[in-house]
Amino acid sequence: MSRQWRSAAFTVPAVFLVVAALALAGCGGGAPEEAAPEAAASEGVAVKAAFVYVSPVGDAGWTLAHDNARLKIDELDYVETAYTEAVPEGADAERTISQYVRQGYNLIFTTSFGYMDPTITVAATAPEVTFMHCSGFKTAANVGTYFGRMYQPRYLTGMIAGKMTKSKVLGYVAAHPIPEVIRGLNAFALGARSVNPDVKVHVVWTQTWYDPAKEREAAESLLDIGADVIAQHQDTPAPQQAAEKRGNYSIGYNSDMSSFAPAAHLTAPVWNWEVIYRKVVDEVHNGTWTSYQYWGGLDDGVVGLAPYSDLVPQEVRDMVEAKKAEIVAGDWDVFTGPINNAAGEVWVADGESMADGDMLGMKDLVEGVVGTVPE
Amino acid sequence: MNVLTGIYLPEAGRIKIWGEPVQLRSPKDAIERGIGMVHQEFKLVQTHTVTENIVLGLGSGLARVGEEEARDKVAELSERYGLAVDPAAYIWQLSIGEQQRVEILKSLYRGARILLLDEPTAVLTPQEAEDLFTTLRSMREQGHSIVFISHKLDEVMAISDRVTVLRGGKNVGTLMVRDTNPQALSNLMVGREIKFETFPKPEKRGAAVLEVKGVSALNDRGLPGLTGLSFEVAAGEILGFAGVAGNGQEELAQVITGLRGVTAGSLIVDGRDMTHAKAREFILNGVSYVPADRHGVAVVGDMSLTNNSVLRRYREKKFARGPFLDFSVAADYAKRLIEEYNILTPSPETAVRSLSGGNLQKAILAREMTTRHKLLVVMSATRGLDVGATEFVRQTLNEHRHEGAAIVLISEDLEELRSLSDRIAVLFHGEIMGIVDAATAEIESLGLMMAGAKQAEVTG
Amino acid sequence: MAIRLERRLERSRQLEYLVPVLSVLLSLVVCAFLLLANGNNPLVAYGAMMKEAFGTSYGFAEVLVKATPLILCGLGVMLAFKMLFWNIGAEGQLHMGAWGATAVVMTGWEGSGWLMIPAMMIAGMACGALWALIPAYLKVKLNCNEIITTLLLNYVAILWVAHFIYGPWKDPVSFGFPMTKLFPEGAQLMRFGDSRVHLGFVFALIIALILYLLQEKSRWGFEVAVTGGNPKAAEYAGMSTGRNILLVMIISGGLAGLAGMVEISGIQLKLLKDISPHAAPYGYTAIIIAWLARRNPWGVLLVSILMGGLYVGGETVQITMKLPVNIVLIIQALILFFVLGGDILARYRVVFSRPREALGGG
Repeated sequence: MSRQWRSAAFTVPAVFLVVAALALAGCGGGAPEEAAPEAAASEGVAVKAAFVYVSPVGDAGWTLAHDNARLKIDELDYVETAYTEAVPEGADAERTISQYVRQGYNLIFTTSFGYMDPTITVAATAPEVTFMHCSGFKTAANVGTYFGRMYQPRYLTGMIAGKMTKSKVLGYVAAHPIPEVIRGLNAFALGARSVNPDVKVHVVWTQTWYDPAKEREAAESLLDIGADVIAQHQDTPAPQQAAEKRGNYSIGYNSDMSSFAPAAHLTAPVWNWEVIYRKVVDEVHNGTWTSYQYWGGLDDGVVGLAPYSDLVPQEVRDMVEAKKAEIVAGDWDVFTGPINNAAGEVWVADGESMADGDMLGMKDLVEGVVGTVPE
Repeated sequence: MNVLTGIYLPEAGRIKIWGEPVQLRSPKDAIERGIGMVHQEFKLVQTHTVTENIVLGLGSGLARVGEEEARDKVAELSERYGLAVDPAAYIWQLSIGEQQRVEILKSLYRGARILLLDEPTAVLTPQEAEDLFTTLRSMREQGHSIVFISHKLDEVMAISDRVTVLRGGKNVGTLMVRDTNPQALSNLMVGREIKFETFPKPEKRGAAVLEVKGVSALNDRGLPGLTGLSFEVAAGEILGFAGVAGNGQEELAQVITGLRGVTAGSLIVDGRDMTHAKAREFILNGVSYVPADRHGVAVVGDMSLTNNSVLRRYREKKFARGPFLDFSVAADYAKRLIEEYNILTPSPETAVRSLSGGNLQKAILAREMTTRHKLLVVMSATRGLDVGATEFVRQTLNEHRHEGAAIVLISEDLEELRSLSDRIAVLFHGEIMGIVDAATAEIESLGLMMAGAKQAEVTG
Repeated sequence: MAIRLERRLERSRQLEYLVPVLSVLLSLVVCAFLLLANGNNPLVAYGAMMKEAFGTSYGFAEVLVKATPLILCGLGVMLAFKMLFWNIGAEGQLHMGAWGATAVVMTGWEGSGWLMIPAMMIAGMACGALWALIPAYLKVKLNCNEIITTLLLNYVAILWVAHFIYGPWKDPVSFGFPMTKLFPEGAQLMRFGDSRVHLGFVFALIIALILYLLQEKSRWGFEVAVTGGNPKAAEYAGMSTGRNILLVMIISGGLAGLAGMVEISGIQLKLLKDISPHAAPYGYTAIIIAWLARRNPWGVLLVSILMGGLYVGGETVQITMKLPVNIVLIIQALILFFVLGGDILARYRVVFSRPREALGGG
């Protein structure tokens, strides 16, 4: 409901802005700014980087992870940044992206899947500008994509959960039934069952990214059926708080959520977007950027784990670190057979690894996950 | 009534209870003094139980009293006074009669020794009314005082020891029931001094315009509102309908204007069978109607006089321009009405909400009179109007009668009925007690019929 | 001491127009303090908003894009409100309209060029109208409260659309992401020049004219107004309230359905989850538009465009002045608060009284 209310508030007042126009007649007129990127004193191009965010920066979650990275690259002397919060996904975003183009920004990061088509559309009108779209699959000569293999740290958190559970029931508060979320859920279940084969992962789909009340309820329903570790894929810390209130464990997401539930939070799979942002900014600065699709993993450090809580025993940490080293070294990856699907049929045969394309379109659940993917 | 329950404060005078002068400043004061009130509209929470409703608002409430205890006390009260109702039932499960019992129990639970009942039988079936009377008698036996407010004379005669007649907010007489009779009461109600200022009536009546045969209809509560009415009204005739308010007048007016369906009988207007016709067909067949509720029914308050003047005529070719309404023609028409009827308004575009009562009624009459009508149904046309406006309305009705309209005049004002009507019919409990010639009708026999006596009984 | 609101018997025409203007001015003054506290120059902020929305051709085109679905939904809601039928369901009707239009595309029928768009329009309007007929019928037959039924049907419609884009209509090459494939060119509404202003805006203008004639000039419009003004008088005048409720809701839902159709065929070019921005859903905004427009079609047109201006202007100050979105939202909410509050004060007056003493002393 809060969203609807906000929306109502959002729109109405326009009504009498004409009045404002009259009152402020002096301010009107004038051509739009045409601030072309200036060449920096040093060699290379000055970078004006804009970020389009799907939610307010807030104090936890997806957008905060991006904004933390933005602040880091903003420290570079040849980089200037700007951002817009709460930009609607879909065609409305075209306007915000266009405005950055018109304001003379030469690098635009669009940080949510729903900006894919608007990014492609605006990019076609601004060939001189570099666009990087997060989590999509469409590219162009001046549009690249970037994302991270979050399933890798998810697998590691699954191992921790598998070791910490007593009831052998884990709860997973899932967001929308899209491949990214399904991949993370499967990886978590595989990790848990690798250390504790009897574990079941119960899943509830909230179909939200940011709805504290709904996500808390989902977590509570999982706690009610006996789950003693709660993991999540949304941007709010509500599931963490629900777990702490019941005296259970939780695993966060996006960024370190330990401050919200210190007595429950074990660790969290987190984004370190700075890795890719630094890379792209430097490429644009040096004029070496060409369109590509970036999908980095633990090896690059674009994904990782938040600091372990004191609750995680040393032996578990050691085990997880060993697995992490194996992944970083490229010796092994999560979706390596044998893996059965939820129906118990062989999905990935022993010794085989799933191709990136199959991972990116993942629709099925692995054995050990209790629940279905909603249509 | 509202004064006694502390809702309104008296501007003058004193109230004594058990001989002691009191000031009732709020409903709470009244309750503390032992005054209980049963309103016409029940004040119950549908989704709560009987017991919960009864203790609702008491300082202690269920929390302190305990549900068991409260329920026992309710059961005990309902036993003692013969108010059969299940304390654990939800209000929405109860019939109207049972809900009224809950209201009475509510007062008794709070220790009421004086019980005020406002039109308690209006909502009841005859059997439920009988049960209520049994309860009231038993309360009287047990030392309670009861004020029973009703306009139904037979009920007053049946239940009361003493009766006070109010007319226009004044006490016009208090009598012992055993010393009086319905006729005397109805005389008090309508007033004795009837002035005769009879309007001249046409020599000859025309053909029958409205023929009503054996018509019955339900009222808003789904109970029989009209039963077996039969009468005719001829062109150039005014048929008056007398009766104490609430005896089927509203239903009658609605039935003969198509606003209320009939359950039996037939209606013929100007030779056409209109028994199941809709209101629109009545309008198109030349039936005009001046309802009693001017603001609530007859006009749209926020609309201009121009718009209201075509409220029932907007379908006519005269006001049409293709599918559109020709507002300039309507405005001219409204101006004509304003002139002819001398309606005081700043402009035809003023919202009718701001018109005074007399001017509003003039506007409504103007609209209904200038329609080419065969039948005119007029209800309480002069209620609340000053002398001048009243005279104007009566003159207008008379003129139209002379021009050949058939008029049904429903009024509580016997003087008006006798001075305007050719014949007067008396309604009682939705039935016609008799139809008498206005010129020779005696006020006493009208009074008796209004109290429920058949014409045959009155004239012997 | 008690404070009561007492209905004003006479409403002056000047007050009706003066109050909203004063309300906005007052809200801008209050917002100015907020902006100052945040370290911004309020005059510059207001100026930037106005300049972007109404001072540049790009900005103004975007305002019209934003206004198009608002006008269509607003007109539909306006007609229902004229009759005091509280249609809170434009959002759901819009979704059903978008769904109906998409269904035509999903049949795989390529259409013979110009036939595709009319077929989508008819399907969109029919689906919106049918969706609106459900609460209308329930009201007429069972006297169900339309506020509840129309509101709840919104959620059903949104989930209905979600079902199709997550399920049968999902674009096979979208890696499982919830959206249909891009509409073929024949299913896309014509756009004007380089802008995103599309044919839907022209439809909105034409329909505003039609609704003006229908509501303000026609005999049927008179029936609607009378029914809204006093239902008993409508009955007394021989009008068929039930039939009119059904007709009004067919039109109201049909217009919201058309809004859904033009939004996906003119702007989104596919069916996806966020056809109506959840920061400002068209169907709910339309309710406020109809209210502020005093249920007048030209008012709906004007208010929708100003609303679009506020939206586009608000985005701009976020970018140019780097205002946090919450400050922008607070400003917009404050303007709404003042306008609606002013509206109430124009209709009612505040009375301070001590009821008991006042009555007792008389």
